Amino acid sequence: MSTDQDLRSVNPPWLALRLSSWRVPEPDREYLIGDLIESFHERRVRYGATSARRWFWRETLNLLTARWPETPNLPVDPPAEASMDSLLQSLRVALRSLGRAPALTALVVATLALGVGATTSVYSVARAALFAAPPYPRSDRLALVWERDKDGSESNLGYATFEDLSREERVFESTAAMSYWFPTLSDGSETTRIAGQRVTWRFFDVLGVKPMLGRGFMPEEDRLGADRVVVLGHNVWKSRFGSDSGIVGRDITVNGVAYRVEGVLPPAFESLLAPGTELWAPLAYDASLRWACRSCRHLRMVARLRPDANPVTAGQLLDATYGRLKGQFPNEYAGAGTVLTPVHEFVVRGTRQALIALLAAVGLVALIACFNAANLLLGRALRRESEFALRVALGASYRRLAALLLSEGLIIAIAAAAIGSALAVIGVDVVVRLAPMGVPRLDQVRVDSGALMFAAGLAMFTGLAASVLPALALLRGGLEGSIRGGARSLVGSGRHRLRGALVAAEVALAVMLVSGASLLFGSVSRLLAVDGGFATGNRLSMELDLSGPRFNDSGAVAETWRAALESVHAIPGVRSAALASQIPLGGNVDMYGLHLEDRAGANPAEDPYALRYAVTPRYLETMGIPLRSGRHITDDDRERAPPVVLLNEVAANRLFPGGNAIGRRLQVGGGDGPQRTVVGIVGNTLHRALDREREMQVYVPAVQWGEEGGMTLVVHSDVAASSAIPAVRRALRDVVPGVAISKVATLERLMDLSTADRRFALALFAGFAVVALVLAAAGLFGVLSATVVERAREIGVRTALGAQRGRILAMVVRQGMVLAGTGLAVGLFATWGSTRIISTLLFGVGASDPVVLAVVVTSLGAVALVASALPAWRASRVDPMIALRDS
Amino acid sequence: MNHGLGEFEQLVLLALIRLGTEAYGVAIRDEIEQQTGRSVTVGAVYTTLLRLEDKRLVATRLGDPTPQRGGRRKKYYRPLAAGRRELTASLNALRSMTRGLTPGLELP
Repeated sequence: MSTDQDLRSVNPPWLALRLSSWRVPEPDREYLIGDLIESFHERRVRYGATSARRWFWRETLNLLTARWPETPNLPVDPPAEASMDSLLQSLRVALRSLGRAPALTALVVATLALGVGATTSVYSVARAALFAAPPYPRSDRLALVWERDKDGSESNLGYATFEDLSREERVFESTAAMSYWFPTLSDGSETTRIAGQRVTWRFFDVLGVKPMLGRGFMPEEDRLGADRVVVLGHNVWKSRFGSDSGIVGRDITVNGVAYRVEGVLPPAFESLLAPGTELWAPLAYDASLRWACRSCRHLRMVARLRPDANPVTAGQLLDATYGRLKGQFPNEYAGAGTVLTPVHEFVVRGTRQALIALLAAVGLVALIACFNAANLLLGRALRRESEFALRVALGASYRRLAALLLSEGLIIAIAAAAIGSALAVIGVDVVVRLAPMGVPRLDQVRVDSGALMFAAGLAMFTGLAASVLPALALLRGGLEGSIRGGARSLVGSGRHRLRGALVAAEVALAVMLVSGASLLFGSVSRLLAVDGGFATGNRLSMELDLSGPRFNDSGAVAETWRAALESVHAIPGVRSAALASQIPLGGNVDMYGLHLEDRAGANPAEDPYALRYAVTPRYLETMGIPLRSGRHITDDDRERAPPVVLLNEVAANRLFPGGNAIGRRLQVGGGDGPQRTVVGIVGNTLHRALDREREMQVYVPAVQWGEEGGMTLVVHSDVAASSAIPAVRRALRDVVPGVAISKVATLERLMDLSTADRRFALALFAGFAVVALVLAAAGLFGVLSATVVERAREIGVRTALGAQRGRILAMVVRQGMVLAGTGLAVGLFATWGSTRIISTLLFGVGASDPVVLAVVVTSLGAVALVASALPAWRASRVDPMIALRDS
Repeated sequence: MNHGLGEFEQLVLLALIRLGTEAYGVAIRDEIEQQTGRSVTVGAVYTTLLRLEDKRLVATRLGDPTPQRGGRRKKYYRPLAAGRRELTASLNALRSMTRGLTPGLELP
């Protein structure tokens, strides 16, 4: 105890010692603290410990409140010969130099890390979706083959055409035809519908995939009657069959009948040509079949080109074959030739534009971050000018100075790369969660070594660019003047012009992002305002499938549907329910040619096409589609009653421009169908998407069309649609055990999905725009603050000479506005030039939209005003006495 | 270039001249306290010395570390020729300004 007492009293109070050490800047700390300690001991001996301690505290408090003069504050250079070749040495000096400005360093690193993180996240998504080669061996030789229509669009092939084209051995190594297939899969407890494909037997060879268990298809299995065999995808094998390695050779229940499992695909296989496919069966066509005809265009063709095949000559050879076929079967072919689409091209074309737009947007963010960091570092370099000048005076070479600045840049870049990569891992997660289903290969997205390399490269580039720029500006300006001129020479207007230019550039880039975001916002809100033509409130839809031998009889199917509807109707709270072959925004498209009775002689190939809906009575009422004239489909429109059809307004106006559609007759699809009498005209609905044209639509009674085993149920209830789902499911399963229920959704959800990709782009753009605005504001703020500090003397003189505070305020704000205005003008100009990049995402708005313009100008103006406010206020508070004395 | 010297700057420079080769922080402070009778903090002495250094009026050299100072070195100061010139100019200015005033204000 007593030793403690002694120790405490013979030494200066530690807290005071700490405080004063902390307060005194480095070069003099040692001598000053040494003096204090020495005095303390003298006093302790002379006046006693208590008095000495009190004195020490008084000195400390005095130090804490003292105004410490600015000093050149030079870090000590290591001896020249030791550091010349040592990168490590120069890094250590740089580290110390950065450590002296921790807040600024943190800000620069954070800015760059933000840019690097955001860019790496989007890059990771885009790379998997756009740039990564399809995961098939030699995927560059894989292509889809289409017929080319006269308008250049692609269409599917009939089986006979596929066979004829496949004989072109100078082009193809192997070929396969594919058709979509949505079978039901049953096991003991449940029946579900899964996505499948029917393919010709060489399909897996063409893609170059080998089953993990068992084998692919044999030629003899690709024949009608021998085709009850399947290959399983890895996921369904795992989830439905418990990864049973003995499954090959066993039977499973598909569409209610037994199929033998021939093989299981490896986990790495991705079905890019038909995303989500988990089950494959042989197509089992031959040219003698009725549905294998040349005009039965419902197959897609994938081919592996010969290694020596040249795409141009390959296209010419195929076109020549097509020409021969056209000459041979003039009634079957009306197209212009063929199209070869590389598989990679096919996979990315739907989302390429959107992803490129996002990449461009995030690139702008990275650029802004880089400019902002350069701006901050430039500001610091200007403040350090006298330090550099002194270093030069003391014999440091320009090379040493450059090495110091570059080392600082390197350290900043490394820190930014590390933090940016961490941000990217989070960012990718966010992007993937926001992304709509349409983005290909989303499940493959992750921050892998490639993305990390990208992050590191980007950080190096931006970090070094941000530090080289100030170094160049400084060295070009020459340092000789600074040492003589002292502090005042720092106000070199040329350097401020550079900072101003950087800020204006930041504002310009921010303008582009804000414009992009507001254009997308305009598109989305316009899209949400689009009337789909049907009601969504309290309505839900689900796809139902009946499968199995007992439904081979259409009477059984009709009876089952009737019973199912009845049981749904009986649920309390259900207002109405109906079945339809397809519903708007449901993803199914069934189009049929319309052949008018009074134009019986017209060429069937020229028939206009319309969306065809086979519906039960009360479908239109359930969907809230309004009846314009005539009558609805009723229970009296039985199978054997006179066939009827309802048209939408587009169809009525286009087919019967005279306005007398009711009572006219037409055939829906094919030449052998019955003449159907138009009995009603109903409102239009948007079928494919909210941003599409309104098309011709026809509604026929399901019983008069021929029953289908797959229908979509729509239910209109008194309660929220989602809460009705369990009751509807239960009712269906009670009446129709083994019915497969899929795609359960409220109609509101279907509307949401229809705008998902734009909302995804909007969310990212808006996020980027906010970041851009914040960075631009920070840049503006930094530059204005620096000029206010450096112009303090001038401002002091102005105030002393009687300038009003308001004038000073206006002067600084005006400077901010000039910078922001320049950036705004450049940015708007650049926006007009680059709107094309996001054109596919736009709907109903253009770059010159006055609302967009107003949003951009107001938001930028507000941000610039806020960023100028504080520096301006500070300038107006400059005390002329202090400002003048300070010199 | 001549902005004149502040009063405390004059006192510090005078203390340097009085102390000769032994002019370091504590000694300067003690000298001023003893001669003027007012209480002076080490911090004030140092900020002033830094300013004089910055104006290139004083030069420094480093001494050896001593145990009473916790192993820290001393920094000794001496006035440069420019410092002496500035000091003389300031004192002369004072002298001329006081000349002929009430005897109590006049400098020798």
